[in-house]
Amino acid sequence: MTNRSLPRLLQAPAVLLLLVWMLVPLSITLYFSFIRYVLNSLRKPEWTKPALSNWRGFGNYEFVLNNKDFILAIQNSLLIVCSILILTVIFGVLIAVLINKTFMGRGVVRVLLISPFFVMPAVNAVLWINMILDPVLGLQGLAVAGINEVIDGLRNLPILGGFFSMWPELEPISFRATQTSAYAVITMVTWQWTPFAVLIFMTSLQSEDQQQKEAAVLDGAGTWSQFRFLTLPHLARPIAIVVMIQAIFHLSLYAEIEIVSRGNGNKNLPYLIGEFANNNIGAASATGIFAVILANIVAIFLLRMIGKTLMD
Amino acid sequence: MGRIVLNNVTKSFGETQVIPPLDLTIEDGEFAVFVGPSGCGKSTLLRMIAGLEDLTSGQIEIDGDDVTQVPPSKRGLAMVFQSYALYPHMTVRKNIAFPLRMEGMDQSEIDKKVEAAAKSLNLSDYLDRKPAALSGGQRQRVAIGRAIVRNPSAFLFDEPLSNLDAALRVGMRLEISEMHESMKTTMIYVTHDQVEAMTMADKIVVLQAGVIEQVGTPLELYHTPRNVFVAGFIGSPKMNIFSGSEAEKLGAHTAGIRPEHIDIDLSGGTWKGTVGVAEHLGSDTFVHVHDTALGDLVTVRIAGDVAVKHGDTIYLTPQMDKIHKFDEQGLRV
Ligand SMILES: Nc1ncnc2c1ncn2[C@@H]1O[C@H](COP(=O)(O)OP(=O)(O)OP(=O)(O)O)[C@@H](O)[C@H]1O
Ligand SMILES: [Mg+2]
Repeated sequence: MTNRSLPRLLQAPAVLLLLVWMLVPLSITLYFSFIRYVLNSLRKPEWTKPALSNWRGFGNYEFVLNNKDFILAIQNSLLIVCSILILTVIFGVLIAVLINKTFMGRGVVRVLLISPFFVMPAVNAVLWINMILDPVLGLQGLAVAGINEVIDGLRNLPILGGFFSMWPELEPISFRATQTSAYAVITMVTWQWTPFAVLIFMTSLQSEDQQQKEAAVLDGAGTWSQFRFLTLPHLARPIAIVVMIQAIFHLSLYAEIEIVSRGNGNKNLPYLIGEFANNNIGAASATGIFAVILANIVAIFLLRMIGKTLMD
Repeated sequence: MGRIVLNNVTKSFGETQVIPPLDLTIEDGEFAVFVGPSGCGKSTLLRMIAGLEDLTSGQIEIDGDDVTQVPPSKRGLAMVFQSYALYPHMTVRKNIAFPLRMEGMDQSEIDKKVEAAAKSLNLSDYLDRKPAALSGGQRQRVAIGRAIVRNPSAFLFDEPLSNLDAALRVGMRLEISEMHESMKTTMIYVTHDQVEAMTMADKIVVLQAGVIEQVGTPLELYHTPRNVFVAGFIGSPKMNIFSGSEAEKLGAHTAGIRPEHIDIDLSGGTWKGTVGVAEHLGSDTFVHVHDTALGDLVTVRIAGDVAVKHGDTIYLTPQMDKIHKFDEQGLRV
């Protein structure tokens, strides 16, 4: 045995395990996506067992592509993931920079800031959609009603009343509606994941070299220039990490979408898979393969964009 | 121009006063070196001059203008840090150009100045590298380049060479001295290194616990130290300082003699002792002698190589005119 093959041999179990771990589910999904396979069928009981004799070729794929929800689901997946990424990075950087300064009670503020991350996704969704975003009983409903009341009162003023009566009555937004439910999901996931970004950026900011900042101060850099030319480049790597990890997580959002609207109008790919999987396992598997392809496209795109900062 | 005057400046961190009231004048074009033991406030003083640290009280003038409340970037000073403090995401070119860019200078003019500075510092080949791809000496040059392009009225250096190896340090020391000769700009330089202080300074400021013990030219400090602290601090190896009966014989409370001002003999002399360690440097020999009438270990510096070894009995004779005498307060008499 050469001294190269010994390490290989020792690594083999781990590699094998990983391969099995990945390849078995992927192969089964591939297999199911090419056959007719449903959980329940009175007319065709033979389709309820996976078998090669039920071969359907690309039929499942065609079926999925022709489904009216499919393109919408892809668009929605991308919309939700990209919005969350952009918002969490912006809020994360702002908050991290803000609480990096020493002030009274910083420790408490930090703990409070991190806490949303420890709320379970389903609980998070229930809280937001029922207690905050609900158009009648939630904070939103109460706030809109309150504002309307104040404006109503102002309409009775002697002179200014005419001006205020030109203002329209505010309408609360229903976030369970087809057009808006995606925004509710984006809002609640952003709220939950901003702490993650803050946490990562905060640790990175603490390792920022103070003498560099002092040198920049002497060089005439103001607060903005210091942020733009020192802090932001310093944060490039943590930003890349936050974007990568979140992209992986949010492509598979499910609980929030289920709770906000039961997929009404804002299905993403995992949700569509779930819907198909109620009965049509073949179509669900084909959608799964599309999801794998989408995830890979996103990954390649991100690696191209961000990989360079990580390698630097 | 760059005449820097400190009037009655003090600095406290919370309750602890690091700098008690202090006055100091650094003339235009002077090379002033701050030395003192670790923690005596050298860096703090330098940072106060730069404006990075607020004064607790007192006043700083540059060229006659009170700059106490002026922000650091408007004081016209440039600082070089021990850790270089280069901007790691920028190339050497961008690093050097940064202060000019902050001033809002034209790109073409920036390019010209950066090229000129890089040429004078032998950095032309490295302009497009990032700091991580440079050696320590090159990084320090970039830091100096970034200071030079601003055309400051004074340079502030905080132990700029202490991260470099000995050979490089000698080279950079010469380069900075050279730079001072050609630019004639005021420089304030903080160091731990005796040799740097003695060779570079026009004026050495010796600090202890935030108090100025003496200000003078290197040779003034060497020949006429104002007190016991300065006597012991300036010079390497350290002056042999002793008190008690041997000092009283000389008519002083405390007396000192530099290692290079003691002669040795194997047969007879003023003080008898036993050789401990003898360090042979080739050009010099440092002999550490035990069990003399002076009590402590006595160090003797002999030019050239002498054949003494551990355990030898030896006689020491001080050159009487080179003895320093101090009174009860430790002041020179
Ligand atoms: N930000 C600070 N807060 C509290 N104390 C400080 C602060 N900065 C410095 N000090 C104290 O002030 C004193 C002087 O520090 P300074 O850094 O000026 O010493 P130094 O002479 O430069 O020492 P060294 O030669 O080791 O660099 C030290 O006792 C130090 O502990
Ligand atoms: Mg210091």
